[in-house]
Amino acid sequence: MTGALDVNEFVAGYLVEVEEHLSASTANLLAVEAALRAGESSPRPIRELFRALHTIKGLSAMVGVEPIVDLAHGMETVLRAADRAAGSLSGSSIEVLLRGLRSIEERARALAEGKPVLPAAPELLAALTALDLAAAPSPPVPTIGADPEILAKLGPGERVQLAQGVAGGRRALRVDFTPSPARTAEGVNITTVRERVGKLAEIVKVVPLSVPASDGAPGGIVFALLVLTSAPDEEVARAAAADGVRALTVEPAVPPAVAALAEREPDEPVDREPQLRGVVRVEVARLDDALDKLSALVVTRFRLARAAAELRARGVDTRDLSEILREHDRTLRDLRGAIMRARMISVKELLERVPLVVRGLGRATGKQVRLEIDAGKAELDKAVAERVFPAIVHLLRNAVDHAIEPPAERRRLGKPEEGVVRVSCFERSSNQLELSVADDGRGIDRALVARRAGRPAPESDAALLDLITLPGLSTLDQATKTSGRGLGMDIVRRIAVEQLSGELAVSTSPGAGTTFTLRIPLTLTIVDAFSFLCGDQLFVTPVAGVEEVVEIDAARIIRGPAPGEARGGSMLPAAGEARGGSMLPAAGEARGGTMLPAAGEARGGTMLPAAGEARGGTMLIERRGEVVPLVDLGALFETGASPARRALVVRRHGAPFAFGVTRVIGQQEVVVRPLEDPLVRVPGVSGSTDLGDGRPTLVLDLVTLSGRLSAGRGGRGALVWVAS
Amino acid sequence: MAEILVVDDSRVMREMVVACLRAEQHGFAHAASGLEAIETLSLRPFDLVVLDLNMPDIGGLEVIEFIRGQDRLRSLPILVVTTRGDEESRARTLAAGASEFMTKPFTPDAILASVRALLQDGVAGAG
Repeated sequence: MTGALDVNEFVAGYLVEVEEHLSASTANLLAVEAALRAGESSPRPIRELFRALHTIKGLSAMVGVEPIVDLAHGMETVLRAADRAAGSLSGSSIEVLLRGLRSIEERARALAEGKPVLPAAPELLAALTALDLAAAPSPPVPTIGADPEILAKLGPGERVQLAQGVAGGRRALRVDFTPSPARTAEGVNITTVRERVGKLAEIVKVVPLSVPASDGAPGGIVFALLVLTSAPDEEVARAAAADGVRALTVEPAVPPAVAALAEREPDEPVDREPQLRGVVRVEVARLDDALDKLSALVVTRFRLARAAAELRARGVDTRDLSEILREHDRTLRDLRGAIMRARMISVKELLERVPLVVRGLGRATGKQVRLEIDAGKAELDKAVAERVFPAIVHLLRNAVDHAIEPPAERRRLGKPEEGVVRVSCFERSSNQLELSVADDGRGIDRALVARRAGRPAPESDAALLDLITLPGLSTLDQATKTSGRGLGMDIVRRIAVEQLSGELAVSTSPGAGTTFTLRIPLTLTIVDAFSFLCGDQLFVTPVAGVEEVVEIDAARIIRGPAPGEARGGSMLPAAGEARGGSMLPAAGEARGGTMLPAAGEARGGTMLPAAGEARGGTMLIERRGEVVPLVDLGALFETGASPARRALVVRRHGAPFAFGVTRVIGQQEVVVRPLEDPLVRVPGVSGSTDLGDGRPTLVLDLVTLSGRLSAGRGGRGALVWVAS
Repeated sequence: MAEILVVDDSRVMREMVVACLRAEQHGFAHAASGLEAIETLSLRPFDLVVLDLNMPDIGGLEVIEFIRGQDRLRSLPILVVTTRGDEESRARTLAAGASEFMTKPFTPDAILASVRALLQDGVAGAG
């Protein structure tokens, strides 16, 4: 006898599986709702919902979470009936089932946090029991032309699914896959075939068939995949490792209305069966631990390199050691890549919750909103994903609550009653993700924003963004139920810019809509960085933020007009426009020996006047016909008298900005440690790193710094060379 | 020592089954779907199948019917472990050819005892 099963061993895995099922179920339920609005039934999503709830029930019973067993059981009963009715569910069921999913989620979260798991609410269980499934009409079941052995395995839901697909313009096909030991050895099995076929077609059913054993089917089985597709036959056959495909005839038993509606959604997501073969789920804490160990290794590598350099300087032959170090570098870089990849989640996964958010907002505001999501194939670090999601929710709230007009107003304006919110995302480079939330609403009223902020009306979108991200600003007379506290764009900016070292931009057009764009790093902790000297002080900055490193030709530095009069699109406001707060910490506030100057106290030979005092104006350099403001970082940070010989060019809101440095040392990966002390958390400094000498080196966020300097936030120190 | 195929679309559930049977030193293979189970069974021999009923693509009942329709697999013991504890499900499952029916949540002792008994018998109870 083995005694009791230690369920604690399985709780973490249980929570992961429940979360996955809940996430997929929410998406499926919203798909059912959309189909219901269009007059369609939803056999596949309902089948999957049923299965997910059934699995949650079984798992919860094993782990002993009875409240979730009760909830899942109640929902499963509703869904089983709907499945038997070929995927029909009454409209009133959706809300109750969504409440059920939320209740399960709340209880799973309580379990994860070690809190008591509350019993299922009796009124919710009663509501589930009371759902009138008979109200849902069952669609007529179509006739499918296929072998009797296959027909015997097809349920009404699958027949309807095939008929809807054909009515929507796709072909219904049968394609056979024959497994064999040889194919298995090559990695071709029913799971990989499903994955490959699933990319070209919606798999409706897979039927295993007994056949006499032969060379082709030594096991005596063949899998018949019944699919809906628009792809060429040969491609489908190739994906299934089959010789060809067979067409299935489908009698048009689907009502015309359903057929017409089915055509409107050709992008019905293909088979959503999660492909989990070969996937191991790992707790994020374990990945964090691995990353910490890796970080320690990266620092040790710097120390090794430094020790080798010292040996070389003493005349020791270090060729063997150098070779080992190079190999060590390569391995470490590979290891870093492997760990970072393991931490990545798909943006699609991140955005799975968005439809539910928009649905709730639409209902709360009484607005009709259609959500379009283009998640692309990008991936980002889970830690970044968790931090950026609240910002996405803020933007969605603003879009639905503030931007999209009520249906009557849209009608009056000649717009469709249904507003559109589009969330799209793509990877800009190997280090940066661009994520935008766009609406077709009323656009931001610049005059109103300016009035509320007590400022002049902003002329550019960038200036408008500065206003709407002022803390506490709201353009609504009353806080609404959904947004609650006005725009809250300061929070979005704080997340995007300050927490993630990213960038936020807006473009808006009266009556036509607004687009907010977030540019954020894919990962946070280990980044490729330039290290450079300003005077004798070493700094680093992420490579991702630097557009170009250029030589500074002192003879070609242009003295520009006084601030506020700059030409060529590099408009710099006067220092007097600075809004509160010092850009840089006072001297002594920075930890770890990298002292920052108090504003305006710059020492050394490169003393530069404050903006407006710069011997008649700002300093600019010319780069390929573009005028670029230039600030000497050495002067800014009072790090010595060496003149700036090179410049790191960054771009913010499309405008370039150059930072003069004494010498660029090189490019290397660094581990960024956040500056946790609020006294040293300042815009422009995103963290610190250890380059192997045991002393912290500041990691500069030059994009943010350029923004602050352009805005004149630096007070006198801003300075400074606004050699531009 | 026997070769056991554990079929369940839930990884946690498969791990729980294996944890309960770990003491017996059996060999275990996993299948995450009914299709994977049928493919695996067609390509190599097993002494016992522990099978869930509710799975994507094809459910456990279809897997049982398929197994019982194959001469080579007709006497393979099948232990069904399912959340469907109602009498109708039990009757349908046994009628389809399952050797034994056990509901979730199960205890390690119960599943261990069933597996021992089925392996000793070496034949399917029904079908």
